[in-house]
Amino acid sequence: MSGVIKTVSLAVSVLLCVFLLSVPGASGGMAAEGRRVFVERGCGECHTTERPLRRPTFEEFLTEKGPPLWYAGSKFRKGWLKEWLTSPEPVRPMAYNSLKERNPDNHPALGSKEAEAVAEYLATLKVEGLKRGVVRPEKNVRGRIIFEKKLGCYGCHLVRKGRRIVGGLSGPSLVGAGRRLEPDWIYAFLKDKNLFVPYTSMPVYVGIITDREMRILSGYVASME
Amino acid sequence: MWLPWNRIIVALLLAFLFTIPASALRVKENYLFYCAPCHGLDGRGEGPNATPTQPVTPRNHRNPKEMEKLSDEDIINVIRFGGRATGISTLMPPYRNTLTEEEILELKDYLRELCQCSGPR
Repeated sequence: MSGVIKTVSLAVSVLLCVFLLSVPGASGGMAAEGRRVFVERGCGECHTTERPLRRPTFEEFLTEKGPPLWYAGSKFRKGWLKEWLTSPEPVRPMAYNSLKERNPDNHPALGSKEAEAVAEYLATLKVEGLKRGVVRPEKNVRGRIIFEKKLGCYGCHLVRKGRRIVGGLSGPSLVGAGRRLEPDWIYAFLKDKNLFVPYTSMPVYVGIITDREMRILSGYVASME
Repeated sequence: MWLPWNRIIVALLLAFLFTIPASALRVKENYLFYCAPCHGLDGRGEGPNATPTQPVTPRNHRNPKEMEKLSDEDIINVIRFGGRATGISTLMPPYRNTLTEEEILELKDYLRELCQCSGPR
């Protein structure tokens, strides 16, 4: 009798293992599948997924077609990535690296399964050493004062103000930034933009606002709807 | 005898390029990158950030009537410290930690070129 029980439990264990290994997320296979989709769909033609070995020249930078994704896992919230990949809407009002052309709004959409896998893959692309838990989303008056009055960030970024969307178009929209961006990444970007992008029109705010103000501002941006 | 015109033209172009000071190229890059988003590629104040929802319109750098009201020092200080510190719009950011002092002076000279004007005497 005990032999039968042993055999049955062994069979169940084997079946369970086979089942678990066949679920991509459980074995890390989902990210690998996402990478395969990323390559197959030609996403690498516009997006880099590896940290550049050297700083590109200004001319080289201007030829880049889309934002780098080698730190996507540190920057974006995975849930947002998945959702966005299934029905992409422009985050940047202007075409990448252009002050003349509007965003053509032609980013390819993925099916739900593919989007989930690519989101899983992108979530693995993280910057080493980026501190976690430094900033938490917080809709506070001080953050709003820094954002609106002290730095006038809406000069370049769209934001929601009541029922209206207001602001400039040269930078990425911050409408819904709370759902899109990781709070700690916002702070890391404010602290050292060149760690992520070689050139950016955004001014250096280190030394203009204090480190505490930078954290408050990051928390405020991370709370934006 | 035929002259190798292609080579001569290339040599002349190269010679011309090397006579442009590096700062002249740099100042245009800086203007394109930091000023044009609001002030426009041609400096007329019509960059993509000049949307109807903004509380103010960016200054037209080609308008001598507007620009000659500003002294060189005013221009330098606005670039250095931004609008908030100089009593104009807070939408003009401070660039003192983004650009070097030399780059700021180059931009001031470039703005004077765009407006074809000088400050109050």
